[in-house]
Amino acid sequence: MSYIVYIIIQILTMVLIAPLVNGIIIKVKAFSQKRTGPPILQMYFDLYKLIRKSTVVSDVSSWVYKAAPYEVFSTALAAALLVPVSTMITPPDSIPGDFIILVSIFALGRFFMMAAGLDTGSTFGGMGSSREAMISSLAEPSILVCLFTAGLISGSTSLDRMMVFMQGAGTPLIHPVAILLLLALLSIIMMETARIPVDDPSTHLELTMIHEAMLLEYSGRHLALMEYGAAIKQLVFMTLLLNLLIPHDQFIAMAGVGAVLLSLLIYLLKVILLAVLIALIEINTVKFRLFSIPNLAALSFILSFLAFLQYFLLGGSYV
Amino acid sequence: MSSLFDTLSVMILLSSFVLMANKRIKSYIKTFRIQSMLIALAAGILGIQSVMEEGRIDVLVICFIIVVLKVIYIPKLMNKTYSSVEYKVEKDFIWNIPALVLACCALVVFTYFSISTIDGINEGFNNIQIVNSVSVILIGLFFMISRKKAIGQIIGFLVLENGIFITAMFSTNGMPFIVDMGIFIDMLTAVMIMGVMVFQISDKFDTINIDKLNKLKG
Repeated sequence: MSYIVYIIIQILTMVLIAPLVNGIIIKVKAFSQKRTGPPILQMYFDLYKLIRKSTVVSDVSSWVYKAAPYEVFSTALAAALLVPVSTMITPPDSIPGDFIILVSIFALGRFFMMAAGLDTGSTFGGMGSSREAMISSLAEPSILVCLFTAGLISGSTSLDRMMVFMQGAGTPLIHPVAILLLLALLSIIMMETARIPVDDPSTHLELTMIHEAMLLEYSGRHLALMEYGAAIKQLVFMTLLLNLLIPHDQFIAMAGVGAVLLSLLIYLLKVILLAVLIALIEINTVKFRLFSIPNLAALSFILSFLAFLQYFLLGGSYV
Repeated sequence: MSSLFDTLSVMILLSSFVLMANKRIKSYIKTFRIQSMLIALAAGILGIQSVMEEGRIDVLVICFIIVVLKVIYIPKLMNKTYSSVEYKVEKDFIWNIPALVLACCALVVFTYFSISTIDGINEGFNNIQIVNSVSVILIGLFFMISRKKAIGQIIGFLVLENGIFITAMFSTNGMPFIVDMGIFIDMLTAVMIMGVMVFQISDKFDTINIDKLNKLKG
């Protein structure tokens, strides 16, 4: 299919589904505490409300503060374009850009977020930025090694080529490399998207917050863009895990518009299941001390490195 | 079927990494129990296979013994020892935990290169199961080196023994029954003696830090 259709479907899917994932996670967590919890669509209402509200900008802040929300949101959208939600809709001559660009785009968005946290000169912003810098520098090697391993297996750095290869390989989830990559990506999601072992997204307790601390000064439209950007980033990581390691497109025998719709439907189902799984992990773990996070990061790195090693131990084959 | 054993061997290796990253005594025991469960699962599948193909039931019996001994009895014994000493969290390691985990990773790479020079084990390619299980032995040994408290050392010894068992099992498809039984009884005796020793040490010295054991006390 042509680029235009790809871009439209990609952006629409990501932008529409992203707040839903947060809603599901919050709902499952509420059920575990015997509360009814906010409605699943609550984040859409919140975003709508925030966009209509006026924004307050500190007098002492520079242009970085005002540019950061747009930067965060647009990098999230750019990243969303690189990870296909369904390989049915990818353009014939592959997507320009590969996973190294993906990681760099995320790094760019994160850089602006941290700079904005420092910009207003509040204590919490600076604290959140320094913690975010620590966690992201610990998580990045793990992501890169993980994606390099997937690239090595499939012989391509482009994400859609990788996904198509994985579909062809049949990927029995019992394969050792697939399991290790799955666990590595799961722990990366927990670290990158401010989930419980690392950061508690639902709290405003100053001592523990990381992601929230950087957004503390924001209000109105800016806050909405920041939150939306974070939600899209989370969905991009989940899509990466789902379409790379649990591919579904090889089971669809049809072609044409019906096949694309079916593929998107299965994708949505997988996203919901993964959101429930993430919520269950959050329920069953406690937040780590900040100084225990390197241990988690080391384990996450080990998972992806072992996947890399096991691939060679198996004689460089993945069937 | 070999892919299943590959995956199980990877999971066993992974559990020893998780053990290395832990610092709570309770988690040590829990992780050891999970590792033993995975080993029992591998032995069970191998046992069913050997019953179907050769009519041998000894591997299945070994699987049963693992479940009774390593999944139920020894963790229970460890928990009893754990409740009799006062410390719950390991605080002093030789290095910090990320460095220890990365060193374990280096051990796996080392095993990979040393196993590939042995001719008998691998038929033309590196046997993933052998590399993983020998790595478990080395990690168990390294765990004993890295922890300074006696309970950590017992767990390290048990992991080392697990590694020896799966190396034997994966390379021979089930050792002779009498050899496995000998190893198990040795291990059981050792663990029971060590448990009593830990209790006695903490009674006499008010600590089970092995650094403090170089002075004689009446």
